[in-house]
Amino acid sequence: MALTITCPICGKRNGYEFKFGGEEKGPRPDEKDLTPEAWCEYVHMNKCVAGVQEEWWFHKDGCGSWFKIHRDTTTNLEKEVKDENRVQKAKSGGQK
Amino acid sequence: MKEIQRISPVVFKSSPLKTEKRDNWDVVMEYKEEGDGPFLVDLSHRPRFDLQDSNLADKKSFELELPETPGNSVLENGILASRMNRTQVSLFDLDGQDDVSMPGESYYTDVTESTVCVALFGKEIFLICEKLTALDFTDPQRKAPFFFQGPFSHVPCQIVTLNKEGESSGIVLTCSRGYGRDMIDSILHAGEEFGLKPAGESRFTHWIKSL
Repeated sequence: MALTITCPICGKRNGYEFKFGGEEKGPRPDEKDLTPEAWCEYVHMNKCVAGVQEEWWFHKDGCGSWFKIHRDTTTNLEKEVKDENRVQKAKSGGQK
Repeated sequence: MKEIQRISPVVFKSSPLKTEKRDNWDVVMEYKEEGDGPFLVDLSHRPRFDLQDSNLADKKSFELELPETPGNSVLENGILASRMNRTQVSLFDLDGQDDVSMPGESYYTDVTESTVCVALFGKEIFLICEKLTALDFTDPQRKAPFFFQGPFSHVPCQIVTLNKEGESSGIVLTCSRGYGRDMIDSILHAGEEFGLKPAGESRFTHWIKSL
């Protein structure tokens, strides 16, 4: 089944309207005492989870917002995760 | 100083019957053999603005209450306002009767010449749209006018359903100016079997006033 993604502004849409933005890795590390290895780890290394992971998507053919979804990488299906603030977060100017 | 010449990105093959010069645009009021619908009308000369501000809640534009929720539109006094997201609203002048100029505030951007704008209205237009997009312009849970941002003929567009009732159905569509020629070509090609014909601005004005 083709991937569909639920944009917090536009609703459920075809996955081809979106651009993948990478795994959710948490906040950017503090630059104080940041080693090149730690920075490299943050920027380039991925967990590549076989299962449900949280990730960033960009609605390039639609509203242009950045948002996060949970997707099962083994079935390529979006997983619904209850986050009542998700829509509000996206409508308040994007998250990324 | 020479006058500027403003050229629409939309060119129809039909022969114009009646034209007029307006704000340096050549506006076709009527084409030969427009048929009895559905119609495709070039509105690229109609003023369009983007309004962007971090606090839209207390703002009015053209004496219009701006829609609060993304995806909602308001059509009043010929001005169509559509909420894009928390910080942006797009404004179209669909009336075209008065000389609408951009307000002086810094949060307005004139996008008239950076986008193409067309109206598609009349019978069976949603059958034409179905050939070009997966977006549902007739969503029964929404009351017209309502607003979409999504692909139409594979091009990112802004589309407003103005009416979804029978023969007076209609949408307005904008996309980047560079897609103009191909967008028109694909709409006319998709609408060929339904008798879609280019029409002049007079027909659009008559339709929008009937809503």
